[in-house]
Amino acid sequence: MGDYVWFHDVSWHATYAIYFFVIGISVGLFFFSFLSWHRPAFESLRVKTAYGSFAVLCIGGLLLIGDLSQPLRFFNVLNPAYLHFTSPLAWGAMNIVSFSLVSVAYLYMLNKGDDANAKKLAAVGALLALGLPIYTGFDMTVHQSRPVWNTPLMPPLFVAMALVSGTAVASFLAAANEEAMRMLRLFMIWSAGAVGVMLVSLLGTTAYGGSAQELAFDILTSGSIGLMFIGLGIVGGTVVPIGLMVAPYGRQRNGLLLSAALILGGDLAMRISLLMGPQIVQTLY
Amino acid sequence: MLDKLKLNRRTFIKLSAGTGAAAAAAPSALHAMEKELGGKDVGPVTMEQRKAIPINCHVCNIQDGAIAYVENGRIVKLEGNPEHVSTRGRLCAKGNSGMWYTYDPDRILFPLKRVGARGEGKWKRITWDEALAELAQKLDGALKEDPNSIVMKYGRNRSGGVIDRFMNTLGSASVINHTSVCESSKKIGMEPTWGPDIETPDFANAKYILNFGSNIMEAAYFHNPYAQRVAEGLVENKAKLVTFDVRLSNTAGRSDEWIPVFPATDGAVALAIGHVILRENLQDSAFINTWTNVTVDELKAHYRQFTPEWASKLSGVPAETIERIAREFATTKPATTYTYRGPAKHLYGSYNEKACMMLPIMTGNIEVRGGYCLPRGMGWPQPQPEPPKAAKHSTLAHPPEYPLAHHKVSHLTPFWIADGRQKVNVYISYQDNPVYTNPGADTVWGKLLRDEKLVPYYVSMSPFMGEETALADLILPDCPYLERWEPESMPNSLWPWLGIRQPVIAPLGEARENRVMMRDIIHKLDPTGARGMKKYWEFKDGEDYLRHHFDKIPGLKEAGGLDFLKKHGVWPIYGKLDPKNGKITDKTGREIQAEYGLYKKELSAADMAGAVVGKDGVITKNGKAIGIRRDGRNCVGFSTGNRLINVRVDEWAKYGFNPMPTFKQIPWHKAMKDDELILTTYKINVHKQSRTAAVKWLAEIMHSNPVWMNTETGRKLGIKTGDLVRIESKVGYMVTKAYVFEGIQPKVVAIPTAFGHWAYGRLATLKLKDKPAYGGQEDPDLNNVWWDDKGVHPNDIIPVVADPIGGSQGWFDTVVKVTKAGPNDKYGDVKASWDKHVESFKETMRYAYTGDLHRKMHPEMASWAGPESAGHKEH
Amino acid sequence: MSEERLVSPIETRGVAGTKRYAMVVDTRRCIGCMACQVACKSEYDTPLGVNRTWVPYKVVGKYPTVKKQFLPRLCNHCDDPPCVRNCPVEATFKVPDGGFVLQRYERCIGCRTCMASCPYNARFMLPAHRTYTNITSVVDKCTFCFHRVTQNLVPACVQTCIGRARVFGDINDPTSEVSYLVANNATQVLRPEEGTKPQVYYIGADRNQTEFGRDAYQRRDQMDQDRSAFNNFFKI
Ligand SMILES: Nc1nc2c(c(=O)[nH]1)N[C@H]1C(S)=C(S)[C@@H](COP(=O)(O)OP(=O)(O)OC[C@H]3O[C@@H](n4cnc5c(=O)[nH]c(N)nc54)[C@H](O)[C@@H]3O)O[C@H]1N2
Ligand SMILES: Nc1nc2c(c(=O)[nH]1)N[C@H]1C(S)=C(S)[C@@H](COP(=O)(O)OP(=O)(O)OC[C@H]3O[C@@H](n4cnc5c(=O)[nH]c(N)nc54)[C@H](O)[C@@H]3O)O[C@H]1N2
Ligand code: SF4
Ligand code: SF4
Ligand code: SF4
Ligand code: SF4
Ligand code: SF4
Ligand SMILES: [Mo]
Repeated sequence: MGDYVWFHDVSWHATYAIYFFVIGISVGLFFFSFLSWHRPAFESLRVKTAYGSFAVLCIGGLLLIGDLSQPLRFFNVLNPAYLHFTSPLAWGAMNIVSFSLVSVAYLYMLNKGDDANAKKLAAVGALLALGLPIYTGFDMTVHQSRPVWNTPLMPPLFVAMALVSGTAVASFLAAANEEAMRMLRLFMIWSAGAVGVMLVSLLGTTAYGGSAQELAFDILTSGSIGLMFIGLGIVGGTVVPIGLMVAPYGRQRNGLLLSAALILGGDLAMRISLLMGPQIVQTLY
Repeated sequence: MLDKLKLNRRTFIKLSAGTGAAAAAAPSALHAMEKELGGKDVGPVTMEQRKAIPINCHVCNIQDGAIAYVENGRIVKLEGNPEHVSTRGRLCAKGNSGMWYTYDPDRILFPLKRVGARGEGKWKRITWDEALAELAQKLDGALKEDPNSIVMKYGRNRSGGVIDRFMNTLGSASVINHTSVCESSKKIGMEPTWGPDIETPDFANAKYILNFGSNIMEAAYFHNPYAQRVAEGLVENKAKLVTFDVRLSNTAGRSDEWIPVFPATDGAVALAIGHVILRENLQDSAFINTWTNVTVDELKAHYRQFTPEWASKLSGVPAETIERIAREFATTKPATTYTYRGPAKHLYGSYNEKACMMLPIMTGNIEVRGGYCLPRGMGWPQPQPEPPKAAKHSTLAHPPEYPLAHHKVSHLTPFWIADGRQKVNVYISYQDNPVYTNPGADTVWGKLLRDEKLVPYYVSMSPFMGEETALADLILPDCPYLERWEPESMPNSLWPWLGIRQPVIAPLGEARENRVMMRDIIHKLDPTGARGMKKYWEFKDGEDYLRHHFDKIPGLKEAGGLDFLKKHGVWPIYGKLDPKNGKITDKTGREIQAEYGLYKKELSAADMAGAVVGKDGVITKNGKAIGIRRDGRNCVGFSTGNRLINVRVDEWAKYGFNPMPTFKQIPWHKAMKDDELILTTYKINVHKQSRTAAVKWLAEIMHSNPVWMNTETGRKLGIKTGDLVRIESKVGYMVTKAYVFEGIQPKVVAIPTAFGHWAYGRLATLKLKDKPAYGGQEDPDLNNVWWDDKGVHPNDIIPVVADPIGGSQGWFDTVVKVTKAGPNDKYGDVKASWDKHVESFKETMRYAYTGDLHRKMHPEMASWAGPESAGHKEH
Repeated sequence: MSEERLVSPIETRGVAGTKRYAMVVDTRRCIGCMACQVACKSEYDTPLGVNRTWVPYKVVGKYPTVKKQFLPRLCNHCDDPPCVRNCPVEATFKVPDGGFVLQRYERCIGCRTCMASCPYNARFMLPAHRTYTNITSVVDKCTFCFHRVTQNLVPACVQTCIGRARVFGDINDPTSEVSYLVANNATQVLRPEEGTKPQVYYIGADRNQTEFGRDAYQRRDQMDQDRSAFNNFFKI
């Protein structure tokens, strides 16, 4: 104001974080559908999670495409003449398309009751699913000038976040199934724990980093972003739910569902702040 | 990959085309062939070469040569004319965006007649014929009563004589310019001293540049051409730039030294620098004794009083700094000073200017390479026949109280009209928006122009709904500069030139260029020629008119006259813009050299035929001084009455002013209380007074104008950046935001002009929900306007002050109180009172040579016999 | 110069037989006039809210010793551009001969990944509305005036540069003015640590301007008011 200064838009707005979030859930859910072939406890979840995963995947796909300024050109990504392998987005596109195809086939087999093929497809799908959080992680890691993003932690962190959020949703689907709930609880504790550990190390390296990291840390731990990241994400979405789940109340159905809800909220909050924080630093250059 | 291949082939072709051209033109490869610095333009999407038409920029008044590029009938790009010796192919930010004058969606494209009350904004579209008929009828009425009751007020008049022709045809002398709000006291400080009203410093070759209050890197005459040379001087010639300013202008911020001064005290500082130079015998005695009307001894005696200690007390500049600068300036050759409005826009600004220009004079830096040179200009003949000058003298145009103010005292006009000095029947405005740009703004000029008794009929000739035009009864849509014919010449470098403006596209809508519009008015008044007016207006169109100017000029005539100018835009062409150094080089590839020492040019035998040489050496011919004999040579000298530099201006003494360099402290500055500050106002690089607020690219860069305040002052007043503050002067108050930082003198607060519009279209007023209302075409890009602050305009609370010598407005003298805004203060509040403005008007007239304070301010002139002695009669 | 050693095959700095265009910005000559910014805007009908080049400033020092520093900014046409590397459809690419980093507007899907990977904020998303150009809603950036340079013209911003602070040419040609300036003066590039090999070389640039995060360290609430208007408009 009053004298010329130039401002910059951020590259990615919140929609992108929501996309990461739902994709994570889709992956997590598919995982359980796959597990259900090997862990009888989850059998009752097989179909539900498969459908759930696919439904959420569709939402994610729509979000991703809708976030492009040229949605109709999404298919350029699949155009072999354009394909640019140095870009994680290119791998991602392949990955997400093949995963959805497999999911469709998988659902078809489930309906047909062709367990032999369904089981095979579940295995393939699980592998592809694993690829999604890894590529979304890379999607951020590869930008060498962005603090927080440009760390080897992103892919594993996103895998863990996918698992924990998927488990959280699954626990709602598992409903009355005692046995499933028991295992889901363990899953959630460990994956949430894993997320927590990674976040702590991330914060550590960021806090002790150079000027860019220093500033990113500042933004991630203060103001509205701080509230989201530390408040909703780390405390409300990781520490508290773990605490709840190890406590007796967490062993009860409601306690577990409450933790699941907290975890989901926290996961979304963390994804938004992890996306926006470092971008806000960048707009200042 | 297909499409990549395709693009790469194109790439390849284009690249090789480029290099091919280079190789072809390359010299014996001793030096790389650098890319051309312009002269053609290519569409980034079409890849087609664009149509190029040479013109003269007129976004501001520096008058750079330019080229307009047209694609699909639209003016898409403006560029400096590489053949223009001053401009050298470059335009400033404003010049680059001039097409938005033409394409302003809120531009007026047909005549408008007021319906409803004045300024209510209700208009009716009428035909040109209706408009001309109505105006002719009003003019007729006025002519019957008194031709001088037709008042013409213009600001930027580059018509090359058309407006004077128009007013002389009508027989009215009531022609008022805007120069008194501009720089007039600078002109008056200089003219009696050495002739011209401005200097042309040779910045590129100077080693030391002493800048008093000129913001050359953002504004000033002549921003673009001079800033180019300053940058060259600083980096290529390692010159030192020292800037005196009350705030950190870009120029101050880029100078080797910024020396903050207390407002209006540059004169004292300059005198003290002169004192040190003379005390330490660092002056150029030969030059002083030969070329001025005083001797070194007289000068030394006169300057003895102006000690650095004395100046330091007044200006806040440490005495040792003054001494150091004095020695540096006098011992570094070549050196030059440069001033613009900073020293001049104060009560007694003429004295300040005079004191500053004494420095290059006493050090003999006049007309030397790298020094302080005379302006170089060119003129043109007027189409014949010409109307005689208006018979009756106009007291509005030449107020008797200001006999030395040869550039008039326009800003006092409303008060004189209100006093009934001159009955007004028809008021015409052309390129002049006093309602926004003058002291008192809407409170004063708005009051005048809304008053149908004082101004019964007001016609504005303007393409834009400026604050002034919004109050008109009739609006005649003129053409912006890219659609009209005009002759040009400006002394904006050391090489004189002639140029033109020519229409790049046909006038949009029903717009008519000024000279054609005026012709049509006269023809309406005098259809048969019986009234003897029509004969001065017998030309087909703008082009035809310019032929009369340019087809007879020796040299240009041979080159092709107007046709040459239509093709090149400027004449003469001194050389080629060299891509290797950005300079104009001659056929041999050497940088062109300017001609120096103009005043030493010898008169030809023909000149001397019939001339007589007086004992003082003055050479007169037919009663006119044409030169002066010095060291046995008959030189032209300077264009003053005695062909010398008049350090002593006797004409001033006649009216009781000090004829010698002097300084007067402003009484109300001396009387200032601790909690009072001085409000100053200034220009910024990306805007042009009132007229660029609707230019989106400029508005995006700067759209608001918080008041600058020094950190220390802010701390004292408990004001932080962004706080709402109330600024109160003796005539009113305003509420705006503060910008507290290090770059301003602690006793000064500063607000730039060009913001806070209440008219001038939807972008200027941020009323973008409305639609274009006067025939303009909407610009979809206005959907992308992201800012929400339009700033606040200070002029309503700035009282009138008139320099009793130069008649100039004291823009930078306003004493104010600044406080945190109160609960009822809203951002943008501006309240001022007409009556209080009238008081300041009366107050300032007391300093005129006819006023009671004049003597008090000039004890040293006790022997002066008083106004009557100068022929003043009380009326 | 630091990047004499070419680490990736895409780099053409110093590679014989290819042109490597570069810009030298001599900040000692920059008067902050903004002509470059506006010339570029008009050359490309660039919409409001986005810019291919911009000239931020900083006021440094304490009264009465205060200076104003300008730093003209634009795409660095990096010799090893991360934006190109990260585009999934090669809608942004580097022209081998000359080193221009350009856009294929008809191919760009608008994923903004290139924006995310540019350390210099040199890229932006074109809004839906423009005055007369129909290329909208794809990412755009400075093209080093490819269309002018290939017609043997300097870029528009260089053409109009009042201070002649911007000089453009082939830095692979040892006789060019840019080579001369880079060889003769202490130069620096922006954020060299990012390994992008920027091809915009600064003379006399001030660290208050070049260092990352300076704006964040010395916040100016002044601009924050305008910034929030900007952020509201762009929903940041
Ligand atoms: N960009 C741009 N350029 C322009 C114009 C424009 O509107 N915009 N207008 C043109 C016109 S009409 C004119 S007249 C010129 C004016 O050109 P300048 O005179 O250079 O500009 P101003 O801003 O009027 O005043 C110059 C400086 O005087 C300083 N100042 C105020 N009081 C004092 C004082 O007591 N002492 C000193 N030393 N300095 C003081 C102000 O801070 C300001 O920086 O610019 C011309 N060029
Ligand atoms: N606060 C403050 N006030 C100042 C100054 C300052 O530094 N600070 N500077 C002063 C100075 S130096 C000057 S010279 C004056 C200038 O004062 P003015 O000459 O009054 O202002 P401008 O903005 O040059 O233009 C005046 C009007 O010309 C009209 N106009 C624009 N283009 C055209 C055209 O092509 N044709 C026609 N017919 N009309 C056109 C518009 O209606 C515009 O409102 O302002 C003075 N006012
Ligand atoms: S200074 Fe700028 S606006 Fe003024 S004439 Fe020159 S280019 Fe045009
Ligand atoms: S500056 Fe940014 S946009 Fe330009 S080439 Fe480098 S990374 Fe790409
Ligand atoms: S926005 Fe366009 S240019 Fe940028 S990465 Fe995506 S597709 Fe490529
Ligand atoms: S090189 Fe061309 S596109 Fe890039 S900033 Fe300069 S003018 Fe704009
Ligand atoms: S045009 Fe040149 S001098 Fe002006 S701001 Fe741009 S780079 Fe600086
Ligand atoms: Mo002026």
